[in-house]
Amino acid sequence: MGTIIKEETRISRKLPVDTSEKVISFISYFLMLILMLIALLPCLNVISKAFSEGSAVTSGRVYFWPVGLQMETVSKVLTQTDFLASLKNSLFVTVFGVVVSMVTSILFAYPLSKPELKGRRFFIVICIISMVFNGGMVPKYIVMKSLGLLDTFFSLILHHGLSIFNMLIIKNYFESLPESTIESAAIDGASDFKTLFRIVCPMALPVIATVSLLYAVAYWNLYFSAALYIKSSSMKVLQVFLKDLISNSVSVSESLITNPDGYSNVTADGVIAGATVLALVPIVALYPFIQRFMIKGITIGSEKG
Amino acid sequence: MTQKSLKIVTKSNNKLQRKMKQTINYITNHIPLYLMLIPGLIVIIIINYLPYFGILIAFKDYNIFAGNNPIDAIIKSDWVGLTNFNKLFTNSYFWTVFKNTIIINGLKVIWLFPLPIICAVMLNEIKNSTYRRVTQTVIYMPYFFSWVVIFSIFSSILSTHGIVNMVITSMGFDRISFFMDVNIFRGLLVFTDGWKTVGYNTVIFLAAISAIDSTLYEAAKIDGASKIRQIWNITIPGILPTIILMLILRVGHILDSSFEQVLVFYNPIVYDVADIIQTYVYRMGIGQMNFSLSTALGLFNSVVAFILIVGANTASRKLLNRSIW
Repeated sequence: MGTIIKEETRISRKLPVDTSEKVISFISYFLMLILMLIALLPCLNVISKAFSEGSAVTSGRVYFWPVGLQMETVSKVLTQTDFLASLKNSLFVTVFGVVVSMVTSILFAYPLSKPELKGRRFFIVICIISMVFNGGMVPKYIVMKSLGLLDTFFSLILHHGLSIFNMLIIKNYFESLPESTIESAAIDGASDFKTLFRIVCPMALPVIATVSLLYAVAYWNLYFSAALYIKSSSMKVLQVFLKDLISNSVSVSESLITNPDGYSNVTADGVIAGATVLALVPIVALYPFIQRFMIKGITIGSEKG
Repeated sequence: MTQKSLKIVTKSNNKLQRKMKQTINYITNHIPLYLMLIPGLIVIIIINYLPYFGILIAFKDYNIFAGNNPIDAIIKSDWVGLTNFNKLFTNSYFWTVFKNTIIINGLKVIWLFPLPIICAVMLNEIKNSTYRRVTQTVIYMPYFFSWVVIFSIFSSILSTHGIVNMVITSMGFDRISFFMDVNIFRGLLVFTDGWKTVGYNTVIFLAAISAIDSTLYEAAKIDGASKIRQIWNITIPGILPTIILMLILRVGHILDSSFEQVLVFYNPIVYDVADIIQTYVYRMGIGQMNFSLSTALGLFNSVVAFILIVGANTASRKLLNRSIW
């Protein structure tokens, strides 16, 4: 492989290098750098604010590195606000939700991946209708209300329980698996459930990882459905907590000032920055896995749109 | 009836019976497969199909206390025909939110659709694989941030004493209140949407580019084609189906995008330029408990969105022989 690449570069070197190639290459390097800075600098600024001293934050002296390093803001966000409680709620919803969604999606995708299934077309049409026609926000709210699911995490898990898009990714992958293996299991007398969990799922681990991550990010980031269905303050998920914190940041930061002389490193902007950075930790921690599986997942999903 | 035609009828009857028997046989032999569908069907029915019944509210004067429970109340509320729609279409604010929905999402298509294609072409021109991988990693990440986090980041850097206003004032200009300015707010929505999604879409187009047959480029090089010609005559035609498919999808979803972003970003000062159909439905329905009127507006949105999506899919099937379903 290496020698082939070397060969290629030698051939292209022999040819006259056109100037447009150099110009385009230079512009590409430069613009991609700008793009990276646009993505990174806002994050760096917020991280720096979270760890900078109060006066530097309020006077706007913080750029891309903490000024007067302090941990007071972050530790107060952790200990004296509802941050940890809402983090716990979000973790619960995410873990429980991913398990429920994955089981539902895999179970739904497997029969649909069998072309000979009677009524397959009917079930697919049911899915498509639900994808293209939305019953609307208020009817959904009324259904949740009459089922008595308002103010329970179950409403969130039901609402996001089955993403047709994710289910179709799994179904397409199942269809691409070698049929002979599955058939030989059937001949051996394995039941459909046994075949699915003992033979098909182990072969589909890459797509299971990808879709689990898709679900996990969706559950972790859900905001609107939680704002809609959940009212009790002890059940706030992280995104709702963060949004409320931003709306009430001035009063929250004032309540966190404990120094008798009124001077503190805790400022409204600092508290928001601190909570934001903390809320991003799980996503950043998962990001290497997202990187590894998701790009593959995009190609799996687009193979048979 | 002659003997012959009678025979044919019994024959086709037999055929139908045999087919029915086969189907029943198949189902009884594969009950586990049908059991597997149940959890998913329960979710789909509760989340998507039960609310269809709730659409009746749009044609009624819904009083949530009219029955034993909210669903019973739907049946017991009075019919009002199209009164709610009449009220809606004669209200000038309806046209404001309709216009805002089209303008905000239209601006996003115009500015943010071409950008990832250009970025993907450029990223593909970068020969240093480390640089390419680092770029990809960095620009792809904001896609996984929630709208609340992105709102938090931007309200922090765009605040009165935020870094952006510090730079603006140091250059001698006046401070800008980005979130309160009706002339800027839509631009802010477009920019932050780009911040979240451009990297992700770049990766999609990059995957399409890498699927192009590399011998085409070698042949072009030997023929002495310049880099620009290669991009124009090989890369762009090579990813054209992906471009068209993505554009059709994007336009098809023009009515049901941006909701969560606007909900998180806007405030009463910018309602005139930022309030979209779905945010209005939310405030009117859940906030003011005006269930019938907001359901009517939601139904209008769903119907137009449905036409757009089905139209987009038909277009993609005709043009590309590819459909979403």
